Amino acid sequence: MVFSRLFFIYIFLPVCLLCYALARGTKHKNTVLIIFSLIFYAWGEPVYIFLMLATAVVNYAAALFIGKYQGRAGDTAATVTAVVYDLLMLGVFKYSGFIVENINALFSCSLPVPDIRLPIGISFYTFQTISYIIDCHWEKVKPQKSFKNFLLFLTLFPQLIAGPIVRYSSIEKEINERTILMSDVSYGLNRVALGLAKKVLLADQLSLIAESFLGNIGGSTMLGAWYGAIAYGMQIYFDFSGYSDIAIGLGRVFGFHFYENFDHPFMCKDITEFWQRWHISLGTFFRDYLLYIPIFGKRRKYGGLFLVWLCTGIWHGASWNYVIWGLYYGLFIFIELLIGKKKMKKVPVFIRHIYSKFVIIIGFAIFYFEDLGKLGTFFRTAFGFGKNGFVAVQDKISLVNNIFLIAVAVICCFPLIRTIKNVTDKRFAAKATISSAAAVVSALLLVITSIVLVDATTSPFLYYQF
Amino acid sequence: MSKNTKNTDGEKEKNSSAETNRRPEPAISIEASDRQGTSIDIPIKAKKLKKQQRKKAMNRISLANILLISAVFAGGFVYVTLLPHETKADDENRLLTKFPKFSVKSYTSGDFTDGIADYFDDTVHARADIKEFIADMLMPLKGMKYGGEKAELYGSGFEKPAAAATTTAATTASVRTLTTIAVEQPTTTVTEPEEDKTADGELTNNILIVNKRGVNLYGGAWGSEQEYASYLNAYKEALPNVNIYSMVLPTASSFYLPDEYKNLAQSEKEDFDRIEAALGNVMSVDAYTALEAHKDEPIYSRTDHHWQPLGAYYAAQQFALTAGVPFPDISEYEKVTLPGYVGTLYMYTQSATLLNNPEDFVYYKPRTNVSVTQYDTHFGNPVAADLLLDPSQMPNSGYYMVFGGDERIVHVNTECRNGRTLVIFKDSYGNALLPMLTSSFEHIYLCDIRYFDLNAADFIRNVQATDLLFSMCSFSAVGVNRYNIYNNLIK
Repeated sequence: MVFSRLFFIYIFLPVCLLCYALARGTKHKNTVLIIFSLIFYAWGEPVYIFLMLATAVVNYAAALFIGKYQGRAGDTAATVTAVVYDLLMLGVFKYSGFIVENINALFSCSLPVPDIRLPIGISFYTFQTISYIIDCHWEKVKPQKSFKNFLLFLTLFPQLIAGPIVRYSSIEKEINERTILMSDVSYGLNRVALGLAKKVLLADQLSLIAESFLGNIGGSTMLGAWYGAIAYGMQIYFDFSGYSDIAIGLGRVFGFHFYENFDHPFMCKDITEFWQRWHISLGTFFRDYLLYIPIFGKRRKYGGLFLVWLCTGIWHGASWNYVIWGLYYGLFIFIELLIGKKKMKKVPVFIRHIYSKFVIIIGFAIFYFEDLGKLGTFFRTAFGFGKNGFVAVQDKISLVNNIFLIAVAVICCFPLIRTIKNVTDKRFAAKATISSAAAVVSALLLVITSIVLVDATTSPFLYYQF
Repeated sequence: MSKNTKNTDGEKEKNSSAETNRRPEPAISIEASDRQGTSIDIPIKAKKLKKQQRKKAMNRISLANILLISAVFAGGFVYVTLLPHETKADDENRLLTKFPKFSVKSYTSGDFTDGIADYFDDTVHARADIKEFIADMLMPLKGMKYGGEKAELYGSGFEKPAAAATTTAATTASVRTLTTIAVEQPTTTVTEPEEDKTADGELTNNILIVNKRGVNLYGGAWGSEQEYASYLNAYKEALPNVNIYSMVLPTASSFYLPDEYKNLAQSEKEDFDRIEAALGNVMSVDAYTALEAHKDEPIYSRTDHHWQPLGAYYAAQQFALTAGVPFPDISEYEKVTLPGYVGTLYMYTQSATLLNNPEDFVYYKPRTNVSVTQYDTHFGNPVAADLLLDPSQMPNSGYYMVFGGDERIVHVNTECRNGRTLVIFKDSYGNALLPMLTSSFEHIYLCDIRYFDLNAADFIRNVQATDLLFSMCSFSAVGVNRYNIYNNLIK
């Protein structure tokens, strides 16, 4: 089940919220959350839910062993077993097709390519269990004794299928005991409305532009290629950060405080900073768990860096363009590391902005094209070697037709809410006014988003029936 | 709304304020202060009071906020569950999703649960009105119309080789069939279609709206016009004694694009010329010139991707001239005008421009008596039918409503006694030709190239056809529909 559909917003969620409100005490509330989370997951994955439950059992048990044999051989054995199991599941269900295809291509053989559907959210929950196991091993957290509580951590539906990758350590206490303030609930609900609006009103509309210009890159002009890539970059940002908003908002309504996953990434001045602001929970995961694996010896700094970016790339999907995409970012971060922070800061800010946005936009194009041939066409077109010239009437029409949408999208890339909050927090009257306004705006956004969602089931734009 | 951007900070804040509240209050020991009667403590009290008041006020705002959003959730819940569900979408010409039937298989595949969600999403009460509101009030907020012609562009791209994902499978399947058969029949003259390698060339789904008219942008044939011609030549080889005609019909793309927008579409005329040059003993009917001469009359629909029946009249006239059959003047028909028509292009674009500028749909009823029999696509199960449907019985009037669907074979027996029998292989454009030819042939068989389950040559021999007309719009002749023409010959 996805968040941006009427069935979730107006049937699943209200029923869940009502049951949650009626349940007394944290234990009962947790039970309600687990039940709804399992329904939520089973709704999309009636079979693979058993895979997720198996993962839960394995990791829960492994952590208990780790706790029991702390610092001894049993600890390491359990840690390795659990991590290998998790990675194996991810490998089989996400990458086996890709691996076999490449083996076939490399050795000109024809092994049957397994046709395995990707279980929803496996990339996210696998990383959650790995972080939990390693934290237990490192004694950063105590193994959760109650399976029910562990299941809650793993299946909590707001973050189950598209992140953020919530660490056990960040909600360990809240699983057992949490106070839900009125301000938490109102903040959470508003955040949900905001996230839905970002997804439906901005991302989905921007995707039409991106699809027009990148989807058929061979017909695009140079301007069209850049326009498409920019629209696509914003689409992915609003889509993904909108989803994180909903997750964080729902978490807050239920009394959990998840870490932020996005921090206005387009405000960055260099690529290192971009990745401190984009999909933060993934970046910190690799930083904390992968970079410190001592496999590179003294050269760990650079070797680890490229390993992190290779993994970041491949994590996003089983296709070569994601690998290229990851290493592409790794390369720029490597260069920035060589230049050094101090020297980077000496470069005028506007040049750093142009540089970083340029790299990021190209990055999104790499992310878009799973077909490397088409990616090549994109590069030729974007850098003036395409066959369709610099600009054509379709670019102008589309730009004018979508001018307000693009303007609003660009404005929304800036930290508007934070700025307003910083200004108004100083005076009570302003704070109260803006809080009231936020309530009204959130309700309005929710209503408009819902109206637009009615159109979502309109039969897709298929080939004409002549 | 308390928008804490950093949760940890928020948490700390919260904890520290809680601690402050719990702390004993020696500093403002009220009795002691009162006894002294000094004024120093009064502001402290006021400050505390003020703080409490503010906290209360913020709590009230939070509560109101929660109630407001909850009201939206509750209202939405009632709306999507309790209000009557819609069952069909007239503007999209389809039935809406039904509540799924449970089976173990449908459950384990996820279809059942998905189906429930789809059902609620798809059947929202007053769906059509909400969609009109979106088209009318929300989508125009995205931007402005372009230029003096008020252009709007909809679609999936501008490249020729678009081939929507949905068509790929069908294409591949057809190609496979063709290749196999070609091996079995080495004498065939058919140009084997290869997996769209020529394509640079498939059709795109782009629609341009200019001057309140929707136009499908023709993406060009890019070699597939040769295939079309070779298929028709194969028919001639199989049926040497039948007069075979090709009348490929232009679309609005040829006639209604203002100069600035012309290069958004390819030339239909050039592709038609190439088809004509590639046809062997098949007679080419030049509908393009015939229609171009009347392009200032309402021969194409503004809101629908079809032509208007008047366009079919001029094309049929040209065909009758080529075939050497009688053809009545338009005054001999009864003209019926259906006002307020909004056609398929609105469904594809959801454009307010089309929605708010409906057109007249004008069709012509022949006054001659005809008997019409409708068959299934195997030429079985005959039932008596009307030549034209009665649109007053329909929820919305228009092309499909008047001319009916495509999945059938129609036989018309006319009063004409010239001994000639015509078989038409067509797409939906061809439906409008049928009433225009009821004074020209004794028997007419109308078959759709896409929905035909017999061997075409056998069928044509069985009904003793003297004439065979292929008439379809450019998109069908050079698009994926073209494969059906040949597949029907080898069934």
